Amino acid sequence: MNEARLHGIAGEFEHLDGALGAARQLRDSGFTRVEAYSPYPVEELAEAVGRSGAPIIAISTVAFLGALIGLTGGYFVQYWTAAVDLPVNVGGRPLHSWPAFTVSTFEIGVLCGVAAALLAFLVSSRLPLLYHPIFATDGFERASQDRFFLIVEAADVRFYPERIRAIFERHGAAHVSEVRG
Amino acid sequence: MTTITTETPQVAPVMQPGVTFMSLSTRIGDTVLRPQAPLWWWVGFGVSLLLLAVLVVSCTYLFVNGIGVWGVDIPVAWGLAIAEYVWWIALASGGTIVSALFYLTGSPWRSAISRIAESMMLSAVASAGIMPILHLGRPGFFYWLFPYPNVMGVWPQFRSPLLWDFVCIICYILMSVMFYYTGLVPDLATMRDRAPTRVKQIVYGILALGWQGSARQWRNYKITYLIMAAIMAPMVVSVHSVVGLDFAGGVTPGWHSTQFPPYFFFGAILSGLALVIMLTIPLRHAYSLQMVITGYHLNALGKVMLTGSLMLGFAYFWEVFGPYYGSDVAERTMLGGRLTGTYASVYWATVALNITAPQLLWWPAIRRSEWALFLISSGVIIGMWCERFVIVVTSLSRDHVPSEWGSYVPTIWDWGVLVGSIGLFLVIFFVILRLVPIVPLAELRELIAERAPP
Repeated sequence: MNEARLHGIAGEFEHLDGALGAARQLRDSGFTRVEAYSPYPVEELAEAVGRSGAPIIAISTVAFLGALIGLTGGYFVQYWTAAVDLPVNVGGRPLHSWPAFTVSTFEIGVLCGVAAALLAFLVSSRLPLLYHPIFATDGFERASQDRFFLIVEAADVRFYPERIRAIFERHGAAHVSEVRG
Repeated sequence: MTTITTETPQVAPVMQPGVTFMSLSTRIGDTVLRPQAPLWWWVGFGVSLLLLAVLVVSCTYLFVNGIGVWGVDIPVAWGLAIAEYVWWIALASGGTIVSALFYLTGSPWRSAISRIAESMMLSAVASAGIMPILHLGRPGFFYWLFPYPNVMGVWPQFRSPLLWDFVCIICYILMSVMFYYTGLVPDLATMRDRAPTRVKQIVYGILALGWQGSARQWRNYKITYLIMAAIMAPMVVSVHSVVGLDFAGGVTPGWHSTQFPPYFFFGAILSGLALVIMLTIPLRHAYSLQMVITGYHLNALGKVMLTGSLMLGFAYFWEVFGPYYGSDVAERTMLGGRLTGTYASVYWATVALNITAPQLLWWPAIRRSEWALFLISSGVIIGMWCERFVIVVTSLSRDHVPSEWGSYVPTIWDWGVLVGSIGLFLVIFFVILRLVPIVPLAELRELIAERAPP
């Protein structure tokens, strides 16, 4: 295991304050490849590691486009089947009776909107993922329960392990470890 | 609705003090990971399986002999199956109302019970979905409702409300599953990290999709969940409204009314909340959830149910006043038959159970009593079943021309499907109880952190 490539240095924090302090100091010291892991969403933490801006793919835009495609496609299927391919005269009512098509159009539209949102969420969060080096961190199973983790990736240009370790420890990290995987 | 349900009663905080991140994971998460299910689970699951067996027998008998085994005939061609379809879809809608609508209002009581409500919705929608198919004369051809290219060269008739309904239900089921799963991902990761055996680790690991809980992922997750909730809330209104349109689209007396879409949605609020209450009360004892599901939640649920009851009472009033004030003879005749005819007892039971009994919820003491809440909710569930029966049967039995009049008496196979559908609902619900934490852990961690920052 120790032969594996160094992924970064991880600090485990019992308290949110410690993790927040360390993350802010890392940011102020110019580190850029920092990621934070928490058992529940913490906005301040996302800000501290520079993840608070708009995501690369705006999920809401994708959801909207998905809904738009669903609306158009849903309407087209109804129009084409009822008015073009199989025109059935029901008591002289217009073949292209758009008010009757609105309900299904809405339902198919919102279905596609939700599906697009889910897809955008998965893609922008890099999921599904079978393996990630962070899982090799000691005690990382508690990141989904009650601990906060910060990691500075080895890809960071300022990656000086001793300095990072010192910052983590100054802010009361319970455990600092090298992550290899 | 936010203001009336977020006011905190002094006696019951939204979460008991002393709940920590770790006690939450061990108390709630590990109930799922335990190798042996508790005794109450086996008893409940066993009874549910028996009921499900009733459904299997009823459906087999129905499929072999045809729909004549039921009491339905012309003129009352819609019987219990359609009444129960509406009943189940209303119960399912209640889950989405609690989970999506009250997520948007930011009500703190919604967090702890949202998973119960959503699981209820998934289970109930299965029972709802089978009903129209059973009701078809040729159930094997139900897929003809899909617009797929076929050698017959025909397409489904998209101008028919019945097809709108089909599209609604399919979309609703698919969207509900996606909404449920999105909310589940962080909790599945907790399960993966706490799993005691390799097999469970792998299964929950795959289901959790590799969730790490990074700041980036949480940010995307929150946005996605908000978007989904914002879509699901109007969606659930539309689903039950379209069920109302199935009826309003016909010229049958008592159905041909513009108030049907909202009328049906009011019923969904009332009966859905009632079923959430009926599931929450036993579950909080069975799983010892009193720490996170407190009197605060029951109080809020009771208030929303009372609101639903008042809204439904409004619809009941107009349903009677319209025919009375209008000049349509058929409508008036049908109304007279409904209030005093063969099925009058079912109509008055509907009013008593859905409108009169829930008025007890005005008293805070009633909203604090689990027994009272449970009894009123059971009454509402039965009352809503009666309402669907009244709408479907009394209208069809008193059509415009007296020569079209008839009656309907359910046979044992009608009742078999009712009992069996309850079995199907319970079986799915009990299985969900063994698979996922019944309280959303990540959301409750947010509540804990708000109260006492870690």
